[in-house]
Amino acid sequence: MEYIVRTNGLTKKVKSKVLVSNVNLQIKKGEIYGFLGQNGAGKTTIMKMLTGLISPTTGEITLFNQKLTEISKSSLKRVGSIIEYPIFFEHLTAMENLQIHCEYLGYYDQKAIIQALDMVHLTGIEDKIVKDFSLGMKQRLGIVRAIITKPELIILDEPTNGLDPIGIKDMRDLIRMLNREYGITFLLSSHILGEIEQVADRIGVIKDGKLVNEVTLADISKQRTEYIEIVTKDVQKSVYLLDSELKIPNVKIIQDNRIRIYDLTLPQSEISKTLILHDIEIEEIQKHISTLEDYFYQQIHGGDKVG
Amino acid sequence: MGKLMMLEWRKLKQKMIMGELIIYWGILMFLPIFFIKMVSTDFGESYSTIIQLMISIQMGFVLFGASLINQVVIDEYKNKTISLAFGYPISRKKLVTAKVLFISLFVFCCTIVSFLLAGITTYLLDHFFQIIDGQPTIADLTTYFSKMIGHSFMITLISLIPLYFFGVWKRATFPTVLCALFLMQFQNFSYLLNIDINPDMVNVGLCLLGAASVYLSIKMVDKVGDL
Repeated sequence: MEYIVRTNGLTKKVKSKVLVSNVNLQIKKGEIYGFLGQNGAGKTTIMKMLTGLISPTTGEITLFNQKLTEISKSSLKRVGSIIEYPIFFEHLTAMENLQIHCEYLGYYDQKAIIQALDMVHLTGIEDKIVKDFSLGMKQRLGIVRAIITKPELIILDEPTNGLDPIGIKDMRDLIRMLNREYGITFLLSSHILGEIEQVADRIGVIKDGKLVNEVTLADISKQRTEYIEIVTKDVQKSVYLLDSELKIPNVKIIQDNRIRIYDLTLPQSEISKTLILHDIEIEEIQKHISTLEDYFYQQIHGGDKVG
Repeated sequence: MGKLMMLEWRKLKQKMIMGELIIYWGILMFLPIFFIKMVSTDFGESYSTIIQLMISIQMGFVLFGASLINQVVIDEYKNKTISLAFGYPISRKKLVTAKVLFISLFVFCCTIVSFLLAGITTYLLDHFFQIIDGQPTIADLTTYFSKMIGHSFMITLISLIPLYFFGVWKRATFPTVLCALFLMQFQNFSYLLNIDINPDMVNVGLCLLGAASVYLSIKMVDKVGDL
């Protein structure tokens, strides 16, 4: 298996604060890797180090089997990125910004600019000043800039920020298409877990600057569990009834008013009927499947999702 | 390197810089005659006297240099566009060297043009309105052209003094401009304060400070603050 990104003991400290601690990351060629973590967990700092914007305090980064250092940055030619939010020379036109980017990379294919704009449905805006663009348009223009030189690795920090629902779907489709048809490897981060869930092959959970777990989407799917959740004010009596009347053993109280039933042998209608017959006031009863959100929450907080 | 310098120009608000430049050239080309007419007729005693004035007023380009430092370096840090450049497979030292060379070449060329415009304007106005006593001699012209090259070089180096501390390190616009204003008026301050310093020594000292600022800007760019 060929890894195009490898980090070894990657650590970043600013003064006495540890932003990233001993991260050993490996991203396979051709995969879509998603970073999950709360704000301030260290995702952006790792991405900044991978794109040469900041240097690690200790540890090593290897991109395409070449060590990335300030004096050896040639591997960045094969990387496209948007970190934090798309930055442009606001007083210049979209085309001027893209041309400057291409010239810095020594890439002179005018057709590639038009092609990339077309892919992101941004044609016709070439001569417009970037200052007049909405955040969504800037985000898409940032994607154009990231893909224009056909890099082998694209690093996108919160790529759906500022996009409307159609834009989010377009972005997801674009990432999938670039990955499938051009074999481009992606490293993404997002707070919208559903987004990551829909595109990523593998997920790395970042907590307090540490990579606490790496898991494939296939593994998470296997771990998914179904449960019935009941919301009621009479939790104690309900639990007693579930146990004594219905003989359901696998029950969990969440907060003060929620009960989760993991044993689904009995149908939902049977449970409701029993509870109602015993004068239990049911505010809500619904069947759930634990999602990536639940998994993520467990990883970050080490417990069940509440509330 | 030439390509990187050209890219620095393409990234700038060119119309604004050209407008600023035209104002500088416009003011400095009429300033010698303005001094003779409005401040002291002593400046019009001879061409050798007015040449001394014409040389010293070109120090105004130190302020223009500060304006370029602001747009080429400080604005890029403030608008975070510098992170685009730092993400390219080009070393930061090379990128900063391109910025320094661009500012230097721009200030040097503009100062030369300003010297020429001021010389021609002063001569033509004198030709039509007889403001200066006598005619320029070959010695006056030789002095003027040799000083034009030397002083343009000197002004370029002095204009780079704020580059490291206020530009690359502190990224502060206002102190950069204040520093340039102080450097522009340094000789006048020492004269007003009755401090007896050899002007040539002062210029050499300031040039050395400018060179040190350039050296530190390139040398320390990897270390002075993250993005």
